[in-house]
Amino acid sequence: MYLRRYFCSQTAAGHRRRYERPVKQVIKSNFSETLAEIKESIFSSDFVAVSLQKTGGYSAPWQKCLPIDTEETAYLKAKRAAERFQILQFSVCPFSVKASKLIANPYNFQLFPRHEVKVGMPSYSFSCQSSSLTSMALEGFDFNACIYNGISYMSRAQETAAKVQTGSVLLNGGSLLSTSAFSVADVIFSERIKTRVKNWMNGCNNQHKTEDYLISSLRKLVERCENYGSRPSLTIDVCSERQVQLTSEALKEFVNIVLVRPPAKTGVEAIQVVLTSSEEDKNLLVKEIQDLEDEQRRLVSGFREVIDLISTSQRPVVVHNSLNDFTFVHSKFLAPLPPTTNEFASSLLSVFPHILDVNHLMKELGLFNKMNNLSSAISYLNRRFSASMDMEVSYEAEVTDCVNVHGHSVMKVCQLFVNLCSILKISLEIPEGGHTQLPALLQRSSNIFCSSDVRDPYNDDVRIWTGKSRTVSLKNLVFLWGFRKGMSTQDLKDALCNSHDVFSEEFDVKMVDRACAIVVFWTPGFSKKFLGIMDSGELFSSKLENMVFEGLKAADYETYGRVCNSAMWKPDLAECLAQATDETEVFSGAKTQQEQSVICWNNDEMINLDEL
Amino acid sequence: MRNNYLVRVLTRATARTLQPVRSLCSAPTAADVELKNVTKSNFEPTLAELRRHVREADFVSIDLEMTGITSAPWREIFEFDRPDIQYLKVKDSAQKFAVLQFGVCPFRWDQHSTSFVAHPHNFYVFPRQEIAGDASSYEFLCQTSSLEFLAKYQFDFNTCINEGTSYLSRSQEEEALKCLESVHKDEVLDVSSNLRNDLDMQLVRMADILFAERMKNVVGEWRAGLLRGGSWGSESQGSLNDVNQKFQTTFFQARPALAVNGLTSRQLKLIKLVTEKHFSDLAYVHVTGESSSRLPLIVYTDSAKDRDILKGEVKACQRKAAEISIKSAIGFRHVIDLLSSERKLIVGHNCFLDLAHVYSKFIGPLPSTAEEFVSAVQTYFPSIIDTKVLLNSDDVLSHIMNKSSTALSNAFNLLCLPPVTPTGTNNGLADIPRVKVDVQVDDQRFSNWNSGAKHEAGYDAFMTGCVFSEACFRLGIDFNPHVPGLVLQHNEKLQKYTNYLYLSWANGDIIDLKTGKSGPDTLGSAIGRRRCWLAKFTFSSMILLWGLPTKLKAKDIRECFYKAFGSGSITSVHHLDETAAFVQFSRAELVSDFLELKDRLERDNNNPMSVVHPLSRILETGCVRAATYETYKEVCLSPLSEVLFTDQAERLGIKGEARLVQSSVDVDGEGDCEGGEITLPTFRELQQSSASVRTSNFQTDRIMDSLRRSAAQ
Repeated sequence: MYLRRYFCSQTAAGHRRRYERPVKQVIKSNFSETLAEIKESIFSSDFVAVSLQKTGGYSAPWQKCLPIDTEETAYLKAKRAAERFQILQFSVCPFSVKASKLIANPYNFQLFPRHEVKVGMPSYSFSCQSSSLTSMALEGFDFNACIYNGISYMSRAQETAAKVQTGSVLLNGGSLLSTSAFSVADVIFSERIKTRVKNWMNGCNNQHKTEDYLISSLRKLVERCENYGSRPSLTIDVCSERQVQLTSEALKEFVNIVLVRPPAKTGVEAIQVVLTSSEEDKNLLVKEIQDLEDEQRRLVSGFREVIDLISTSQRPVVVHNSLNDFTFVHSKFLAPLPPTTNEFASSLLSVFPHILDVNHLMKELGLFNKMNNLSSAISYLNRRFSASMDMEVSYEAEVTDCVNVHGHSVMKVCQLFVNLCSILKISLEIPEGGHTQLPALLQRSSNIFCSSDVRDPYNDDVRIWTGKSRTVSLKNLVFLWGFRKGMSTQDLKDALCNSHDVFSEEFDVKMVDRACAIVVFWTPGFSKKFLGIMDSGELFSSKLENMVFEGLKAADYETYGRVCNSAMWKPDLAECLAQATDETEVFSGAKTQQEQSVICWNNDEMINLDEL
Repeated sequence: MRNNYLVRVLTRATARTLQPVRSLCSAPTAADVELKNVTKSNFEPTLAELRRHVREADFVSIDLEMTGITSAPWREIFEFDRPDIQYLKVKDSAQKFAVLQFGVCPFRWDQHSTSFVAHPHNFYVFPRQEIAGDASSYEFLCQTSSLEFLAKYQFDFNTCINEGTSYLSRSQEEEALKCLESVHKDEVLDVSSNLRNDLDMQLVRMADILFAERMKNVVGEWRAGLLRGGSWGSESQGSLNDVNQKFQTTFFQARPALAVNGLTSRQLKLIKLVTEKHFSDLAYVHVTGESSSRLPLIVYTDSAKDRDILKGEVKACQRKAAEISIKSAIGFRHVIDLLSSERKLIVGHNCFLDLAHVYSKFIGPLPSTAEEFVSAVQTYFPSIIDTKVLLNSDDVLSHIMNKSSTALSNAFNLLCLPPVTPTGTNNGLADIPRVKVDVQVDDQRFSNWNSGAKHEAGYDAFMTGCVFSEACFRLGIDFNPHVPGLVLQHNEKLQKYTNYLYLSWANGDIIDLKTGKSGPDTLGSAIGRRRCWLAKFTFSSMILLWGLPTKLKAKDIRECFYKAFGSGSITSVHHLDETAAFVQFSRAELVSDFLELKDRLERDNNNPMSVVHPLSRILETGCVRAATYETYKEVCLSPLSEVLFTDQAERLGIKGEARLVQSSVDVDGEGDCEGGEITLPTFRELQQSSASVRTSNFQTDRIMDSLRRSAAQ
């Protein structure tokens, strides 16, 4: 009891110390060995937390996910970031909670999109934001290690497209041919193969008979006998996929042979028939080749093996900002991102059935949805809820070799998740074998992609929003630009106020970036009226007329949607909107989503009473 | 960034074999002396020293290491790229990629020792954002293969990102100063309106009202304490500290002040509001603290006048601080300004792209045409010599190079290093007199210096300078000047190579910086004259195809066209990437013929006639687009860079041309009546053609298939 209290009071100071425990750093050289280790670790734990270090987030203020974004536009923004930037470090932490203890095994994988197999894959080039790189450098990230020795990878789609086969592949005897399709030529081919293999096998079995060396080597030449390792083998040339199938079909009756497809050189294809001495020997050989195959695959798919492991384990994946992180995961390790959020969600969920977003849990707690900085969220929780559970981190053995330690973000994700669950009274202790069933409360909150933004705390007026947000129909939103530079929200609101009848009722103004603002009309129909006035240019009040004369422009939310859908993103939203309104025909392909027409609107800057 | 890995390895090998020879000389062992690396920490003193070296120098050689060269495979420069396209590609590269290392090496002729003295400097550069502003200009592209290349030469990325000197281009600096100016002006103008706004700010919510009231009390108490005099120090401060750790009494400009810490900006706004509303002798100001963060203060002033004076002082102070931070953000650009203001001869090796980087990073956005660009470059750098042009264009030098590669390290080995000869034999080659180049690093002078183990910009700049000085020597230029420092810049023999650069080495076009004219090498060397596109390409009769089946080879495309338009109808096929290709027709009118035919084939693509048409093999995917050369330029102009050309064109919404605009055909077409009507082949012809293509299996299958289908219908 005493100890427990001691920990509670020490949490703030204790965390820092606790984080300095080693996280295993993985680079090219220790990747293979780690793979086996992490496999065991993933399958023996209940959850997997992941966290990414990227070369950038968004290129301009309006390009990050904002509260004004719908699910669709938020996805498009995340998609753009995922396509442009690169993951340099992928942290994976399989963890479980046993007897109020967090058992975690964190790994940091250094990634670099090296051209291992084909030039241009996995990526020809990528963008970097110097601010992201600088902040990574401040945390002690080792760029040399990453670029020199980072692990490469290939997405599933790329691997299929590249059709890489560099090693021998076992030929499965699975017959795809229906016997009725056999033509005369097929039968002749099959029979010829059979006879040839039979003769060869006889020859091999009679080898102990005294035979002249010269004759035996001549025979080898003629019959194309070779050795596959220590076992005798025969090479059969084939010229089509059908012949490959015919051969495997024809040779089914021979028990002690294994068919192997050697790496294809250009054009010429062949099958190797390997003779084994017994059933046992055969199994041994099959396993040997399969291991080789695995090794080869590992080399090609690289880090994606880990992603595949997490996927096959079906463990719930805990992440801090699911939309941002999983658009990256999808585009780098699965396939190019689909155009709509629905397709993305279904494609992703087929690979990761349970995704738990820590941000969403925070919303669930009714707290706030603006605290995206992991550390501040943790310390906030500790301040407000003393119920924070103690974290005991356990590691697998041999951690001594990883001295240079940085990047604890994944541990923070773990901790935040566990703390949140303990506050929400969600038990994370999953009974043995119960992996298919998530705790009911978690089940409810899984697979919801939060589109909340990572906000720079210094630009924000108030860090904590009460989370009570009014929803506003997209129809009532109007984008405004072309007003005097350097105008603040208040200035703009003052300028608009009473400039026209439409501004006589309640409305709100919020800056999207330096030169563009969004106006919310709380009276339905006024936005349309306003846009109509702006379009027609008829009879303004002198105040509004002046502003229009100075270049004030307006557009509806649909235009914004088209901007997000287009290829041309400029640093200033105003420029994009102007372009989109000018050349509507270019964006004709973009469709507007009608069903999702409500967003959350945080209209008030508020101070929490506890902050006083 | 040149791909001379093999050569570099050779250099290293030579360097190693030379080691014993060098140690025999009594000169200090220079091999292990590092290059002069310059980072943030030693930038200022190095710059001061460099100023002296550049001032005394006869010429300065430069070299750059970048994060990449091409943003997409089709953005590489091809032989069929017109000069304007080449410039667009160079521009795209310079805009997108970042410079990581900048090598500067001033060379000075020392008459006493009759040798050049070189001062190689290796600057680590990183585009860190030091002042607020448009963040998008601090985003750059990395080409994966380029980073791997740098990694292979042990480039130190950590030093670069952590320690690299940052910079601000001239236009960025101007922009920042202008922005500062306007903010300042606004502030002066808006004092009254701001006040009004803030007073208008309504205290609606309970929390706001409570907070404001409390702040009123706190500030009032503090002020009362001050006025009571003397005793305010201990008593009131103590009580304040009890209430809240967030307030501290300090002094500001000889006035008592209350420092506010750790509140949100909303809370600060309310404090400001309260202060201005209720206390006429208190001023709420932000001052820039030592840690460069803005510290909010409530300052006690004697009168309203004193308050205004104080506010003015604070404003001026802030502005000054902002100006200083902009000036200090200029960083590495001081080096460029130095090179420009000293108007020295700049020497580079194949340096057009380097200059484009210099311009876009340190001067301003690149102009839209090559002519504007070079004339702007000339105003900053009046004389530039490209050693690659020199080596290839001069007859004497190209004879020495003897058709071997003019890659930098190769040229360096050939010209500047004594050939490696087996011990004992002396074929006389080693005795060729060479220019002596001494290297000075931090006041130490070495007569034999080689740090060539690394692919560093500083070392490359040094090699470029060595190649140049040796080339000058071979041209018989006398280094002993009558007017020191100007000898090379105005040397007759060099004059005909000054300010000529390769627009791109790939097709050998040379651009004249003085006139902005570009075209094939006309400087007189035989090798130069051999490379000539004029005879090869007629851009008006070229057609760009994209959306092609990826397995289609240039040979296949040619065959299809031969079948459709007769052999000799096209002269060449050039692949842009696996999805796009250029077809050069022999006659301009064939372009419109082709577009018409393509259009017709696509319109009724279920017609068996269309399916078996020879062109159907090309049009097989159904999304093949065709356009003229100008469309290619349009695509290159776009800031986008998709990896595949087809994707790029699609994202840009370029649909290709159904037919040629008539006027453009008339320009070079002779009005041949042949091009008027193209009939689809008859069935007999089809049978023949299908017989002729029987070799390719799938084609036959397709034909038979479609014939069967159409028969069934």
